[in-house]
Amino acid sequence: MFTKFFLSLREKGLHVTMGEFLTLQEALDKGLCGSSLTQFYYVSRMILVKSETDYDKFDMAFEECFKAAQKETEVSAEMLRWLDKSDMMEMAHEEARDHLNKMEGEGQMIDKDDVEQKFKQRLKDQDSEHNGGSFWIGTMGKTSFGNMGGNVGGVRVGGKTGYQSAFAVIGARKYRDFRDDRVLDNRQFQMAFRKLRQFSSRLDVPESELDIDGTIDKTCNNGGCLQIVMKKPRKNAVKLLLLMDSGGTMIPYSSLLNDLFQAVHKSNHYKDVKTYYFHNCIYNKLYKTPECENGDWVDTEWVFRNIDSDYKVIIVGDAAMAPEELYSTTGNYRGPNGGLSGYEWLQLVKRHYKKVVWLNPKMAPGRAPWREAETAVKEIFPMYKLTVDGLNQAMVKLMVNK
Amino acid sequence: MNTNFQGTAEYVASEQLMASVNIAIALKKPLLVKGEPGTGKTMLAEAVAKALGKKLIIWNIKSTTKAQEGLYVYDTIQRLYDGQFGEEGVDDIAKYIKLGKLGEAFDSDEQVVLLIDEIDKADLEFPNDLLWELDQMEFYINETKRTVKAKHRPIVIITSNAEKELPDAFLRRCIFHYIDFPSKEQMEEIVKVHFPEVEENLLKQAMDVFYNIRAIRDIRKKPSTSELIDWVNALQIGGIPTDKIRATLPFVGVVVKKDEDLEVVRQNAGQL
Repeated sequence: MFTKFFLSLREKGLHVTMGEFLTLQEALDKGLCGSSLTQFYYVSRMILVKSETDYDKFDMAFEECFKAAQKETEVSAEMLRWLDKSDMMEMAHEEARDHLNKMEGEGQMIDKDDVEQKFKQRLKDQDSEHNGGSFWIGTMGKTSFGNMGGNVGGVRVGGKTGYQSAFAVIGARKYRDFRDDRVLDNRQFQMAFRKLRQFSSRLDVPESELDIDGTIDKTCNNGGCLQIVMKKPRKNAVKLLLLMDSGGTMIPYSSLLNDLFQAVHKSNHYKDVKTYYFHNCIYNKLYKTPECENGDWVDTEWVFRNIDSDYKVIIVGDAAMAPEELYSTTGNYRGPNGGLSGYEWLQLVKRHYKKVVWLNPKMAPGRAPWREAETAVKEIFPMYKLTVDGLNQAMVKLMVNK
Repeated sequence: MNTNFQGTAEYVASEQLMASVNIAIALKKPLLVKGEPGTGKTMLAEAVAKALGKKLIIWNIKSTTKAQEGLYVYDTIQRLYDGQFGEEGVDDIAKYIKLGKLGEAFDSDEQVVLLIDEIDKADLEFPNDLLWELDQMEFYINETKRTVKAKHRPIVIITSNAEKELPDAFLRRCIFHYIDFPSKEQMEEIVKVHFPEVEENLLKQAMDVFYNIRAIRDIRKKPSTSELIDWVNALQIGGIPTDKIRATLPFVGVVVKKDEDLEVVRQNAGQL
């Protein structure tokens, strides 16, 4: 029964096992779902899904399999994906409202029923992705549908609330925020950083721990007269160099970075942690404080000399430099460049340190040719999105040898 | 006896939560409950026990708790001690076997509700060490060659704050429920359960401010249900006029606990 549902769940990346599926069958057998679809939804979810982070995936699979049983106006997951353009937000924010509303002459008062009518109609007809148009459901457009549009008073379909003016939100996937590929916060950071451990007892520290096995052996050999054996404590040998972007485009992520910073410092099991800041891109100075004030800096070359190559380097930044900031030898308007372009400085970092990862809070998924700088940086350093998944992958990358 | 959980007079459960409890009972599987702190995970077990008229056994998990402690502990030190002073019955090992909470639940003559509270506090391997016991509802005491088998399968409720990932093998055996943060209507109901006499206007003002504080983006620790309940209590005892709540935020320290958060709330005071 419902084999297709089972397969679809696994396809969506949910690791549903046979055992769990049989439990669901048992529940059906016992009549625990009644004969209602809603009841079935909750029962199957509580049996098959074991984390709220997976609710969203489950919702999508459920929608796919039982679409026909749902109401017609349900927004398909595919359409929501077309509309999920949160990164266009910055571009859109400034101009969209003024620009589009100026162009739109027609009625200020919008008839709710009329909008809903048209919405249903278009939901049926639309078969592709639209951004910036004036008829279909899409982003940044001026129809009454879609999101981030300039139109006041329409139906917002998914996405983040842009202008707070949509009078209805259809298909807001309630558990989307729980997905573990979302940008992460707080203590999940700390859990991820625990991965970064490399125990070593070959440290230059005194023998200060009781070696129980050794003591027992020695004591037995000594005819039962206690003879204590000490050993060197096993300590984490990982040293960390944290380089954080504190440029203007990073401001929306300031509390996220704050959390990351706190997490690193709370994980006090590192042998050493050094933190420096940069503005947009790394040049020949690194700042000591996130304010990046002129003069309050050290030479990047000094860092190379004094912080050895066995430090593991985590660079946090959005890699959203303008091309000239990356490629021009005069690209840095904040201070001296040292005669090299940002790109060359990044190459130097890569050459000096064995293990470097770049964490990006707003990395585009897959290839993103329109983000020139990001693509270029990705070629130098392995880049991960600043999410639970991404951070875990980055930590693994820092630990394994090649 | 009532065998269907419908919430209690003191505990307001959503329909879904009630369904989860009943299905976990019907399928004889442990119910794993997750949710924000203060959404009443621990209270749930108490409510279930009360509603079904069963005894509640609570096993509080700490970072040092070992699975073995829940089953039984063999008090060797006591036995050695007794042996030195020639106490009676030293040769009876069973005398020194002390059942843990899980053992107690199995050994009970009637069905009980067993709460394993904050399972994520323990070591990563902890849940795996209990797989067999929770599945088969029995364990073996090596020292006395005795098998303790559950006379009546206990209703097991497990809570987690998601501080650690639980192992898949363990999750597979559970029914999972995530407690959502209560909506305004549910919240009103919950507060009224605690203070049936609460003044409408005071409650409305307090709830508005509370939800607005939760909505501030920079708040690190969002206030939870229990904090709202404390606050309403404080406001009632303090006899604060309702029109002052929004403007002066009396006893706001009850709701917001962190220094940084207090600062943020003060900055946003105009919009609350």
